[in-house]
Amino acid sequence: METAIEVRNLVVERGKRRVLHGLTCSIPRGSVTGLLGPSGSGKTTLMRAIVGVQIVKSGVVTVLGEPAGTPRLRHKIGYLTQSPSVYADLTVRENARYFASLYKGITPADADNAVEMVGLGDAANQLVATLSGGQRARASLACTLVSRPEVLILDEPTVGQDPVLRDELWHQFRAMAAAGTTLLVSSHVMDEASRCDRLLLIREGALIADDTPDLVRASAGTNDLDAAFLHLIRTMEKTGVAS
Amino acid sequence: MIASVRAELLRLGRWPTTWVLCGTWLVLNLTFGYVFNYLSYRSDDGGGGFANQVSDGAPASTLLAQLMPDRVPVTLVQGMPMFGGALVLILGALAVGSGYGWGTWKTVFTTGPRRVTAMGGTLGALGIMLVGLVVVSFILDLVAAFTVAAAESQPTTWPTLADSAQGLGAGLLICAMWMAGGVMLGTLTRGPALAVGLGLVWSLVVENLLRGVAGLLGPLETVTNVLPGTAAGSIAGAIGAVVQSDPNGTPGVTTVLGGTAAALLLGGYLLAFLAASLALTARRDVTT
Repeated sequence: METAIEVRNLVVERGKRRVLHGLTCSIPRGSVTGLLGPSGSGKTTLMRAIVGVQIVKSGVVTVLGEPAGTPRLRHKIGYLTQSPSVYADLTVRENARYFASLYKGITPADADNAVEMVGLGDAANQLVATLSGGQRARASLACTLVSRPEVLILDEPTVGQDPVLRDELWHQFRAMAAAGTTLLVSSHVMDEASRCDRLLLIREGALIADDTPDLVRASAGTNDLDAAFLHLIRTMEKTGVAS
Repeated sequence: MIASVRAELLRLGRWPTTWVLCGTWLVLNLTFGYVFNYLSYRSDDGGGGFANQVSDGAPASTLLAQLMPDRVPVTLVQGMPMFGGALVLILGALAVGSGYGWGTWKTVFTTGPRRVTAMGGTLGALGIMLVGLVVVSFILDLVAAFTVAAAESQPTTWPTLADSAQGLGAGLLICAMWMAGGVMLGTLTRGPALAVGLGLVWSLVVENLLRGVAGLLGPLETVTNVLPGTAAGSIAGAIGAVVQSDPNGTPGVTTVLGGTAAALLLGGYLLAFLAASLALTARRDVTT
């Protein structure tokens, strides 16, 4: 399968602290890859490095064959930040149309479609300031989806969503992957891991697993991904090497 | 760049803050330029009443002359060095600072157009809005002046084209300079609140205090003579606005600098603020 994102020996330091320790992985095109790990494990830093907004100490990150952050990639990549990035004093529709008008060939109708896709059609004319936290996150997601990027980097897109909406969003993600979009989705909720084609399990800035959900479970000898993650952590702690 | 300008026009056009600030300027411009002066003229009793307090002792004929259509270019500009400038500074600071506050720049800068293009789009949109604001102010002032002239059976003399161009140009230059100052502060502080606070303290307080101290410390006067507010006030003074110290004078208006020097200085500040904003935005791009 063709590779969309390639990370080689990535080292990132923030201040005096090393956040990523020589991380290496590759993400296939047209797949949904879950980036899982506890808070503070380096998920957002890895995503920022892929988007090209993180100063890296060493290593190489390429996206669609180009160095991460290259201007040519800007129209091909969508990045949903952990905290919603929308204007609170505009409506959901106005926010989506604002982002739509930044791109050539994206129409107001595309913006309205993106709003519908995230289930905010009924709240399209509502000011973002009056939305709940979960709705605000979806408004931000709509603004990310509006440009129909080839690569989508989504930092905890389902936080604060109810189970029905989470299920709908995951169906959308799967549909986008089926249409050729590459998605990297971070989460610290293990039950979302089984919805991914591949998993990157990260802890303290190091990858402890890079495989399909089935193989992660098999390597840990359990059917439960939570248990598998714990098993991998304990193995790493004992041996000092990721399995 | 065109897409960025279009996006920013869409955002700023839908933004309630834009209309509140522009509306406030238009109301202040009409109130201090026409309403108070006309009320003062109408109630002039030659004594020490309301009229005399508002007009600061200026004769009624002078007041009426200031309200006539041929004075519109001057009336348009006289409130800009201080009040108009402060309002557009807030608009510039909020337009840029709020993007940092809400985190939207993060998305625009990473997945949208290039940083300088995105910031250029904001500057372009603000520039277009500024031209609209100054032109609308000019038209409203004309309407007010012709209304007063008709009500007082005065001859309706249009301002000359040269005077109108001078007034519009000076007004644009003053407002563009203060707005660019706001943009620079918004970029520098990466947020709306501090940018607005610092900008207002500078334009309304610090410059006036420095001018006060400059009277006591000679060398400081050299500095205060070339500050942004001095340049803005000087260009208003050069085209005929009544200086602050005169009867019925306007706050912020001065004649410290000549018109050409003031215009050049304002242009310099405008370019410096714009260049600093763009350079700062580009410099923060870790990929360049």
